[in-house]
Amino acid sequence: MREKSVGKRKENVLAKFFLKSIGNERWQHITIPIFLIFLSFFAASIIILALGKNPLGAFYNLLQGVGILPKPSYAAYKSMLTDFLSLLNYMTPMVFASLAVSIALKGGLFNIGVSGQMLLAGFIASITVGYSSLSRIVAKPLVLAIGIIAGGILGGLIGFLKYKFNINEVVSSIMFNYIIQYVLSFFIHSYYIDPVSRQSKYIADTARLTLVNVEMFGLKMDISIGFVIAIILAIALKVFFHKSRLGFEIKAVGANPKGAKYAGINVGRTMILTMVLSGVFSGLAGVTYYLGYFASIQPKVLPSVGFDAIAVALLGNTNPYGIIGASFIISIIDRGSTYMSSMAGVRKEIASVITGMILLFTACTAYIQHKIRDNKDKLSYMARKEAEE
Amino acid sequence: MYEYIVEMKNITKRFPGIVANDNITIQIKKGEIYAILGENGAGKSTLMSILFGMYEPDEGEIWIRGERVKILSPNHAAKLNIGMVHQHFKLVHNYTVTENIILGVEPIKKLGGLIPYVDIDDANKRVAELSKRYGLQVDPRQKIENMTVSLQQRVEILKMLYREAEILIFDEPTALLTPQETDYLLDIIEELRRGGKTIILISHKLEEIKRVADRCAILRKGKLIEVLDVKETSTKTMANLMVGREVSLDIDKKPAQFGHVVLEVEDLRVKNQDKVEVVKGVSFKVHSGEIFAIAGVAGNGQVEIADAIAGLTDISGGTIKLNGVDISKYSIRERTIEGISYIPEDRQSYGLILDFTLAENLALKDYYKEPFCQKGFLNKEVIDEYGKKLIEKYDIRSSLGVDTQVRQMSGGNQQKAIVAREIELDSPLMIFVQPTRGLDIGAIENIRKMIIEERDKGKAILLVSLELDEIMSIADTIAIIYNGEIQKVSPAEELTTKEVGEYMMGVTA
Repeated sequence: MREKSVGKRKENVLAKFFLKSIGNERWQHITIPIFLIFLSFFAASIIILALGKNPLGAFYNLLQGVGILPKPSYAAYKSMLTDFLSLLNYMTPMVFASLAVSIALKGGLFNIGVSGQMLLAGFIASITVGYSSLSRIVAKPLVLAIGIIAGGILGGLIGFLKYKFNINEVVSSIMFNYIIQYVLSFFIHSYYIDPVSRQSKYIADTARLTLVNVEMFGLKMDISIGFVIAIILAIALKVFFHKSRLGFEIKAVGANPKGAKYAGINVGRTMILTMVLSGVFSGLAGVTYYLGYFASIQPKVLPSVGFDAIAVALLGNTNPYGIIGASFIISIIDRGSTYMSSMAGVRKEIASVITGMILLFTACTAYIQHKIRDNKDKLSYMARKEAEE
Repeated sequence: MYEYIVEMKNITKRFPGIVANDNITIQIKKGEIYAILGENGAGKSTLMSILFGMYEPDEGEIWIRGERVKILSPNHAAKLNIGMVHQHFKLVHNYTVTENIILGVEPIKKLGGLIPYVDIDDANKRVAELSKRYGLQVDPRQKIENMTVSLQQRVEILKMLYREAEILIFDEPTALLTPQETDYLLDIIEELRRGGKTIILISHKLEEIKRVADRCAILRKGKLIEVLDVKETSTKTMANLMVGREVSLDIDKKPAQFGHVVLEVEDLRVKNQDKVEVVKGVSFKVHSGEIFAIAGVAGNGQVEIADAIAGLTDISGGTIKLNGVDISKYSIRERTIEGISYIPEDRQSYGLILDFTLAENLALKDYYKEPFCQKGFLNKEVIDEYGKKLIEKYDIRSSLGVDTQVRQMSGGNQQKAIVAREIELDSPLMIFVQPTRGLDIGAIENIRKMIIEERDKGKAILLVSLELDEIMSIADTIAIIYNGEIQKVSPAEELTTKEVGEYMMGVTA
């Protein structure tokens, strides 16, 4: 009898601890994702333990791999800084792609075609500027401009089809994904293939948005120009949705298209603009991926970043700052996994398991919020009862 | 044995910024119809949500059948034989009546003792029986999407009965019904009482309470004011207690001073989504200083006329002139700028963006103009300032002021917000569709007064209402629509309620 009540008390303390940490609704948009990430790592620990390895060691290696914690030794010209810069380089397309998804979501649309838009923008920029001999001052801005235009046009087309013919944007963007994937792969195979790597030929370094092997402080670094642009645009996007007239209209159409129409907003035009803007960010993701992180295109493959971006955008609560944070964490797990597997002997795939779990748990956010509310009520009731007794 | 089937003792419930229920005690006897009367936002729905397990009270006790209980969830409430018909129905639209009713309590049988399946035939039979016993006239096999609001409500009633509810809570059941449907519902409620059920009726409509209820608790601003015996109390007394001051719907208005023609509609034709003509060549004129009312039974084309003038629906023929300018090709925003205010029928899906704040909604038709918007960027301070001004002027109540999410506000205050925004546009033409639907008597009085004030300022008012007494009390000119055609246009004083009613049914003399 007594034991039982002690057990209950303990459960109470645990529940109280959870409510203290994530119960405040004002901060839940930040605390819940963090809680979910911890939960995923906890679950991953169990798996790693079951494999007979040390989870903490593995996570430590993960952070070492991306230059957040120092490795015991480095190769020539490499250091923590170079590792960290590669992480940012890797992360850049993900930030752009997730922002693209979030823009569409704000406007009540689901852009599942980010991958196709990335591929198209990357391909067009590659064959026009990437294989040209333009000087770097001309080439790099031109690549960005082509990414913006190609992505924007394709996004706009999807929006237009929805507005004009009421074709669901999910269907049309998936179809475009296939069309782009196979048509471009035909062109790559026919004209641009590198017979050794079975990928498209490498682009000129002058056109690349990542400065590779920059020698500084006795190190060789990969510096991503795109990353700086991504951060600036994320901040701009935050201001755009918070303050601008068009941002307000996009949110209105997303929240209630009928109400937006009644208010005099041109719903069709706003929808197309939303998709153009989303496409622009997809295009930027494309050029920073194919002409930044990579320098060639693998035919017949859609970049998985475009799909991961959907989950990253949700993990980041469709908030630009949240998206930067979410991309950072997902990138650490992706990028650090190579080093982890070589050091701790934990297979690389464990990293994907962790990512998968984070994304899976993210989908449960509403359930967790509900549970918290439930427990809050119960706890306050118990507290009252105790006080009465 | 217990004296009261439901007792709620000293219930207090607080929400951020507001005390929704302040130490309320009510005691309900078995087999009575107990009404809970109060203005919008008086705390009626909160009190009943507590009884139904949707909220937990901060203080107080609930006793059911003489036993103290703690109701944790609506499921728990159902186990205590409590059922509730909400203001907004909770039905799956592409399911049949029976499928909706058995959802969650499906009668499972086993095929050959092994494979479980839902015995829909048996359920259909039971539903049909219940429907027959209480005179609900519901076909168990019909799909919800093909049913009228009134029928859907009866499905909700059946749902409670199927789950053997003994205590039935109706949350403003007549808010969305026509007068005839209301009559029918009240008959059903009386029938249910004869069947031994205990009924709690949340309402702010005095006539229906007077007609069916035995006792009535009056709430005002979260406090219990009084519990009255309905038979011995006049509606007037109830109204005054509810609002807390003398109210009267007999508005004295000055004779109308008609000015120039503001709105001229000629041979207007509108087709619905199925390409059926629902407005068939309607012509009329509205002058400045005139309240022009379109009377008619719901669904005869009156809402389409209003939508067509405001630009929400495309027209298939005819012209619409505002101050002599043909606006029939204008966009919605161009019409707003030209001078149309519009209070739409469906305030939640058209009139407001529920996820936006009150300030944003109050500026929903001005946000793009100076000084709200400068060089493509919105000025939040100006928008908030404007919101505060309107909240003050129109007495819009909410928990967090301009930052309140409109979804969290009560229906009455949502309507006040729309009316405030539209009147502040100061347009020469104002279209009101069902402006007082779902509002309490105090708010109705206010809105009607406002409409007349606007008329006296020289505005042209187009009023579409299903409530005949509203039309009779404020209109200057009445047009009666039936089946998409205007049957009669006449000065209000030349028509009696009976005559208007006859024209509405298509009985042309």
